[in-house]
Amino acid sequence: MTERARQLRKSILRMAYFAQDANLPSTFSAVEILRVLYDRVLRASPETADDPGRDRFVLSKGQATMGLLAILAEKGYFPQEELLTACRYDSRVSMQADRTKLPFVEVSAGSLGHGFPMAAGMAWANRIMGRNASVYVLAGDGEMNEGAMWEAALFAASEKLDRLTLIIDDNDSIGRMVRMGDLSEKLRAFGFQTVEADGHDEEALAQALAVRHPGMPMAVLAKTIRGYGSQTLTEDRSWFHRAPTKNEMEQLIQEVECCGT
Amino acid sequence: MRKAMQEAVRGIIRSRKDAALLLVDIGVFPFRDLLEQYPERAKNIGIFEAGTVSVAAGLSLAGVTPILYGISPFIVQRALEQLKLGFAYQKIGGNFITTGAAYDFSTLGYSHYCPEDAATLRLLPGMEILAPGTPEQFTALFHACCFDGKPSYFRMTDHSCKVPVSIEFGKAAVIKRGARAVVIAVAEQLDATLEACTGLDVTILYYTTLAPFDKQTLCCELVGGKVFVSAAFYTGSLYPEIMDGAGGRPVQISGAEIPLEILRNYGTKEEKDKALGLDAVGIRRKLEAFLTD
Repeated sequence: MTERARQLRKSILRMAYFAQDANLPSTFSAVEILRVLYDRVLRASPETADDPGRDRFVLSKGQATMGLLAILAEKGYFPQEELLTACRYDSRVSMQADRTKLPFVEVSAGSLGHGFPMAAGMAWANRIMGRNASVYVLAGDGEMNEGAMWEAALFAASEKLDRLTLIIDDNDSIGRMVRMGDLSEKLRAFGFQTVEADGHDEEALAQALAVRHPGMPMAVLAKTIRGYGSQTLTEDRSWFHRAPTKNEMEQLIQEVECCGT
Repeated sequence: MRKAMQEAVRGIIRSRKDAALLLVDIGVFPFRDLLEQYPERAKNIGIFEAGTVSVAAGLSLAGVTPILYGISPFIVQRALEQLKLGFAYQKIGGNFITTGAAYDFSTLGYSHYCPEDAATLRLLPGMEILAPGTPEQFTALFHACCFDGKPSYFRMTDHSCKVPVSIEFGKAAVIKRGARAVVIAVAEQLDATLEACTGLDVTILYYTTLAPFDKQTLCCELVGGKVFVSAAFYTGSLYPEIMDGAGGRPVQISGAEIPLEILRNYGTKEEKDKALGLDAVGIRRKLEAFLTD
């Protein structure tokens, strides 16, 4: 784990404690993906937040919102102290972002199956307006159960949206649900170029996200582990939707600090 | 009204490079010129309305105004959550033009009817619900709302009114004034309502914008403590707005509306109107009973 990924996980844990609400395992599985996108891939910054030609990142799997907001605060989109106000009655910051309050969040997430088709619409709009910009969207493997995700996949491939990249945080949610078979194979059958990568290896992710194929949308299957970075979050299923107490937060921060050292 | 709609949309797509037309394999033939001339932003997307409404939201978020055309229930109901989260929640603009009205596709059965559109969409804050009764009214409402940054639902009917009324977005038109009650006529129900009101001492208000509802006109025009709704929606669809418009005064409400039933008969729209009491005779019968109540 890189130091920056470690710092992001610790920010998320502090935010979860102050919010007294969290989806920690499915946020932690996406940390390296968010790191690579914001550190190396996206041509976007607080200064260009209103630039129509910016690259856009759409969080389709809303459960990772705390990770997104923590990294946006770190990048200077809004004050980091505000993270600790998460989920209060009048907060801008919450478990799922509301873009009318945080306009630099590209899409208000929450219900699964909406972000990806909206991202496809954005990629289409960029083409219509002649912008040289990319759209990245992060979905969960479980979210790929939603029919609208496959409607968007049909559309993106049919329209040859080759500046659209679907990243799947493949943390084996599907293992406990309906059997979906091989997601890469399915997406290729829909007309995507696919690449698989270790979702906790920032180098591998950066390389995967650099792949493009003219005339085809991309899908990056990032193989991840729910709760990665904390043994407790990885092993104890009860953490799916649960906030830490102060002691638990300190213990989880300790686990994150020790992970991989 | 379809022709007026096609002309209005054609004008927008030709003049605005930041507008896109999304067809869901409905009404494609009349737009074939646009699909050929503007293949990048006039498309027959396919038959997946839910995903298409989200795609439209993505367009809107990235600065392209979407105009989507489809059959009422497949937009209002199949894509309701997409309208709610894509458009209402994110406070962005888009245009949803539908054909079919309450039961224009009379022979196709319940799957193609949508008498619940107004009642459903009025629960999405910020959604504009437009119900023009004539081609000219469609054009006026479309131009008023197309780029206003709000989600706009245009309920088209194939049964236009013959009586022309000059209308304004967001305003009820006062057709005549009387003393015993207010009769609210909506969209294509105006003609039959006027006929039904012949010789009756009532105020007639004509509504083509249902959301935002013009409460002010109703409030000013309220007479007799009675409001009668003549509209091809499920019964009660507009009652909350009417009660609100009464401004705290006691008001009795009734109407000639579609009963909350699954409509299982086919035939023509006119046969349905007659059977359900939405033709002039039926409206008159209900209105007279209400006035003497």
